[in-house]
Amino acid sequence: MLRTLRRAADRRRQAGGDFGWLFNPYTGNELVAIDCETTGLDPRRAELVSIAAVTIRGERVITSESLDLRMQCPASLDGDSIRIHGLRSVDLEGGECVGDALARLMDFVGNRPLLGWCVEYDVAVINRQLRPRFGFDLPNALIDVSHRYAREMRRKHPELDPDRGFESMAHMLDVPVMGRHTALGDAVTTALMYLRLQRRVLRVG
Amino acid sequence: MVDIDLSQPPFTLLDETGREWVRGGVDLAYFDNDEIVLDAGQPGEFVYVIHKGEIAELDTSMSRSQARIGHYTTGDLFGAISILNGKSRYRFQAEQESLCYLLPKALFEQLCDTYPAFAEFFRQRLSEKARLLTEHRTQGGVTMAGFMLASVSECMRNPLVVSSQTSIAQAVAELNHSQADSLLVGEGHRFGMVTKTDLLNALVVEGVSQETPVLTIAHFALVSVRPDQYLFEALVDMTRHQVSRVVVTEADKPVGVVELTDVLSYFSSRSYVVSLQVEQATSLDELVRASSRTPELVQALMAQGVKLRFAMGLLGALNGRIMAKAWRFLVDEPYCDRTCLMVMGSEGRGEQILKTDQDNGLILPDDLEWPDCRQRMDAFTDVLIRMGYPPCPGNIMVSNPAWVGTQTEWRQRIDRWVAHRDGDSLMNLAILLDAHAVAGDARLLESLRESLFASCAGNELLLSYFARTALRFSTPLTLFGTLKKPQHGIDIKKGGIFPIVHGVRTLALERSIHPTSTLDRLEALVEDGRLDARFADDLGEALSLFTELRLRQQLERLHDTEPEQQDSRLVVQQLSSLERDLLREALHIVKDFKQRLSHRFHLEY
Repeated sequence: MLRTLRRAADRRRQAGGDFGWLFNPYTGNELVAIDCETTGLDPRRAELVSIAAVTIRGERVITSESLDLRMQCPASLDGDSIRIHGLRSVDLEGGECVGDALARLMDFVGNRPLLGWCVEYDVAVINRQLRPRFGFDLPNALIDVSHRYAREMRRKHPELDPDRGFESMAHMLDVPVMGRHTALGDAVTTALMYLRLQRRVLRVG
Repeated sequence: MVDIDLSQPPFTLLDETGREWVRGGVDLAYFDNDEIVLDAGQPGEFVYVIHKGEIAELDTSMSRSQARIGHYTTGDLFGAISILNGKSRYRFQAEQESLCYLLPKALFEQLCDTYPAFAEFFRQRLSEKARLLTEHRTQGGVTMAGFMLASVSECMRNPLVVSSQTSIAQAVAELNHSQADSLLVGEGHRFGMVTKTDLLNALVVEGVSQETPVLTIAHFALVSVRPDQYLFEALVDMTRHQVSRVVVTEADKPVGVVELTDVLSYFSSRSYVVSLQVEQATSLDELVRASSRTPELVQALMAQGVKLRFAMGLLGALNGRIMAKAWRFLVDEPYCDRTCLMVMGSEGRGEQILKTDQDNGLILPDDLEWPDCRQRMDAFTDVLIRMGYPPCPGNIMVSNPAWVGTQTEWRQRIDRWVAHRDGDSLMNLAILLDAHAVAGDARLLESLRESLFASCAGNELLLSYFARTALRFSTPLTLFGTLKKPQHGIDIKKGGIFPIVHGVRTLALERSIHPTSTLDRLEALVEDGRLDARFADDLGEALSLFTELRLRQQLERLHDTEPEQQDSRLVVQQLSSLERDLLREALHIVKDFKQRLSHRFHLEY
């Protein structure tokens, strides 16, 4: 409810701005899978380390059209998160400032729907950075594969309690995990999981 | 950033930039079970690399049972030919849900333009691809370390030491007797070296008499090493001092000599050492010890990327020497020189690599009386078993009187086999056709072979029966699909090796070709005009590939003792994608060859 109101307000405010076109409804058949690596798991505090996005067109994951952005080293980058995504402050040297990165992300994504595994979290982190800089939240439609997966599982195997963990989902959908804990790898894997779900293939094991 | 494996050919033919293009340019797609990836007649838009899953290649013009002509699995690549030809000749259909990388046509063409070697890969024939595989493997250099770490003591010969009073004439006799190239002459605590060259110079150039003590021409400034030093250190010493042998000393006493030729042979292959041991063996026990080292030699040769053909030749010669030597130990004059011991089957063709069953027979001249022949032959078979040649399950051994006989008896047997033409007779003829003399009078076998050709070569009916056996086992073109479990594998011996060997044998019989090894027969058939050189080449290469795959499997199982492990099935999934590619092509060659055979010998019905 609040989100809808906010979006309406954002839309009116941005109507004449650079990103006004993001608010147009999307009619094509493409999706964009995104994934972010962050410094923590709390969307109110975590900061972006890298963002990746990859296009899904029809039945294909167009890995040749993808975006892989690394940020400038955020202050809260510490050992705990480095252990997960493997990006040290050295690796982030020459990274982009958050504003430029977000602008590039929006240029890439456009008004296409966003797909992700627990995509709400990623979008929340992005929006926290986006609103102070550009004055709006991402207006795109969101598709969460973990919800889709849970729904599909309930429909086919109501007796099972679905484990929505990333790896176990990949296993159940028989999708190879590509470069786990790199933003682009996770985005590609998410895209593959989505394609599998569209085909309603589930493996119970 | 995708997980595409670019460590296999053809991607190894690109440089890092090219591989980066591939990584940045591929897309991913899923194909459901039975979904058609690329249909016959469709233009090729992508090169497909399978990340996971299985894809079948189907010839839509054939009936359902014969349609399947190829099979691709994880890591394999297909669709490139369709791009080069403009459209796909066959249908590619997913046999399992498959995840594929799609390399767009434009990028593929760009890669082909930029990297000629990459483009060449898709136009190559089997023999060229096999070369690639060998190169790929030798880069590993797995056992090279073993050679680099060899110590002097592993390669030295016992020194030939003579006293200071020895004359030149005695020294020469001594050298000849022990098959050495140099000797040491001792005087007090000092030792001097005399080489054959020194002797030659002294006798011819300086004109010294033969009774002169050898001490006068000896060199006392010797280069010496310790037995525990690395062999390559000895090599370095030789190079530095420009000598071709060094003396190995321990506590100021000479314990051995290392010759340059020995070191070089040792580094190039250990064959020399094994053959040296065989030649120098003076008792059966020593021979048994030497012969037990041959599997290790094969392993070393393979690791170095020695072409299988040469390795087989070497091993064949070595096994022949071992048998001949054992024969001499066991059989007395005059029998050992007047009779002819022959080996048959794969040993006769010189194509066995590890020790196979002993298939052997004996030809006696018509005018020889040998009362205790039977006992001697039983003893000989037992000795071969001790040396690691397992007994033949079909009892084709000299201990079986059916495989021992005088020339007349053998001729009668051949006539009987030719007349009967039943399964056993045909098999016996095939076995005898591959016979190769290893000891004694080889002329006996030659004359027997002549009469064999005389009674078979023109006999179309016999040839036709003979050739039919080559078609007995179907060629497993569908590498995995038809099997219940993938680990059942395919039988490479029946499906690949046997049809080639037997088919070539039939052609050799038809044309009275004397050599017994399949590769030599192929060459002779090309010379004869029976086969064209290109096809013979491919057949030979296919055979080498099968033998090599089989050998590698045998080497891996060398230490397994469980009998059910000892079959000749090949689990295709364990091969690299290039090897699978080669296997696929080789099996197609076999199929082609079988078709030619059935056409030539009218076996269609």
